[in-house]
Amino acid sequence: MDELLEILNDLNPDIDYQNEKNLIDGKCLDSLTILTLITEICDTFDISIGPKWMKNENFNSVEAMWKMIQTIQEEE
Amino acid sequence: MTITSLTFIVFAFATILAYYVVPKKYQWCVLLLANIVFYAYAGWKAACFVLFTATSIFFGALGMERVLAKQKALFAAQKETLTKEEKKAVKHKNQRRRRRIMLFVLLANVGILCVTKYTDFALAQVNSLLAALGGGEVRYELNLIVPLGISFYTFQSVGYLLDVYWEKISPQSNYLKFLLFVSFFPQMTQGPISEYGQLSRELFAEHPFSYKNYSYGMQRMLWGFAKKMLVADVLSVYVANVFANYERYTGITTLLGAFCYAVQIYADFSGYMDIMCGLCETLGIRLKENFDRPYFSRSIAEYWRRWHVSLGDWFKNYLYYPIGMSDWSRRLAKKTKRRFGAHIGNTLPATLALLVVWTATGLWHGASWAYIVWGLLNGVFIIVSMWMEPVYVKWKSKLGLHDESRAFRAFQILRTFTLVTFIKVLPEVGDLRRGLGLWKHIFTDHRLPTGVGQLLEFADTGKLWLILAAGGSLMMLLVSVLKSKYQVRDLFNQLPFAVRIILLSCGAVLVAAFGGMAMYLFGGGGFLYAGF
Repeated sequence: MDELLEILNDLNPDIDYQNEKNLIDGKCLDSLTILTLITEICDTFDISIGPKWMKNENFNSVEAMWKMIQTIQEEE
Repeated sequence: MTITSLTFIVFAFATILAYYVVPKKYQWCVLLLANIVFYAYAGWKAACFVLFTATSIFFGALGMERVLAKQKALFAAQKETLTKEEKKAVKHKNQRRRRRIMLFVLLANVGILCVTKYTDFALAQVNSLLAALGGGEVRYELNLIVPLGISFYTFQSVGYLLDVYWEKISPQSNYLKFLLFVSFFPQMTQGPISEYGQLSRELFAEHPFSYKNYSYGMQRMLWGFAKKMLVADVLSVYVANVFANYERYTGITTLLGAFCYAVQIYADFSGYMDIMCGLCETLGIRLKENFDRPYFSRSIAEYWRRWHVSLGDWFKNYLYYPIGMSDWSRRLAKKTKRRFGAHIGNTLPATLALLVVWTATGLWHGASWAYIVWGLLNGVFIIVSMWMEPVYVKWKSKLGLHDESRAFRAFQILRTFTLVTFIKVLPEVGDLRRGLGLWKHIFTDHRLPTGVGQLLEFADTGKLWLILAAGGSLMMLLVSVLKSKYQVRDLFNQLPFAVRIILLSCGAVLVAAFGGMAMYLFGGGGFLYAGF
């Protein structure tokens, strides 16, 4: 989780990731940031995020992202 | 069926009545029946194309699901015996089978879209090439009829197919329900392009009658009719004048004509959305919103997040992300980041994805070089601002400009509106050459109009219509400003009942009388985006 927070803070330090639960629906992250975020997550956690996971609810909060990463790791 | 006709009004009321009269579990059947009536008016040829798309994608999605179901059954039956590697091999094999089904159905449907929409354009390019090479001429044009709403329903259906392929949703197993999703009449000719997950929830839920939904929906429909018939249809006469004869007018008058086009296309497209979203609201159905005060955007990228939102979302979900997230794209990001730093490493894959997206967006809007250039211009502005972001931050800091200062925000909004207007007019003047000619004329004709008469020379419909269009445009601006802080319809509905009735009645009479007259005099009624 800390690694994920570090990635997010590097991308945009102005967002309160601990409390923000609407990162995508609230338009806090734009599409370029999301692409960069996915690349970083894939590299850091050695997973592959396919289009299947591209749902707003998977990226709306740090917890949701973390849950998605763990599910992909289990599947792979 | 023309949306601004008495026939449509009767059709809409009959649909609303039938929707609430039948038992709630059959409400979706009323909508399907309404679709059939709508298509009967549009011609059965169009219906054949929709039926093909609905049928092929329905069975394609079920085919992919069956492969997945068999795989799940196999894994459940041999849970103890299959090794991890064997499971991986089965998954890989089944994924290839599902991909084959998806590609076959996808290509068949996109193929029809391409053949009907782009064959003449492609043949024209072949002819030009042959002529340039001094070879023989292959002079034939198919002049195929482009089926009603093909760009919209094909994209919506392809989105569904890909969502099933990516296992984001489970396929619909009822053919008639799926047919309703593909052919839902309010969004047939101009969208919005809905996602299955969202629209199916609305279509197949039971909706009890709600006075609030009904009155809010009716109010929105009236507002949409006013935008279309009192603003867009009247402005269309002025815009046609300027675009056809811009050489005659001064540069400033031509610029004013271009701004009129920006207002016209917004009133036209968002007016249609208001009519259809309003109609759906009376039924308790929420359609995806396509506009979010786009002319208040502070950059081209933001503008495209607020204009034709459903098309932008479609390209983002089904083209931009898949390209940007692909393995080769990630490898490219990794390599360039190591060599040139984070900014270039992150921006380069997005740039390539955006170039594909904006070429496709241009082609989606029309089969001409003017539209391709229009699409690429939008893309180039977005890409350049993405690359220049660190430079802008430095400049703003040096010049002491703050993003949230009112003056700077106003400057950004005006700059974006002007840029958007210039890009918008390019494909609309006739062809690319004339579009560029209009740009040149605005910048090189320095004659000053001798008075208001010459400035508004193109407005040859009489003062009454000019006042009506200007008044309507100002009302649109006022509503947009209010929308930034309030729910405008909630505000309106706080007025005393009698006042609301008087205002709505006056509005309805105004729209019916002047809108009807405008249609008779200027021949309005058609919608700009229906051509896409």
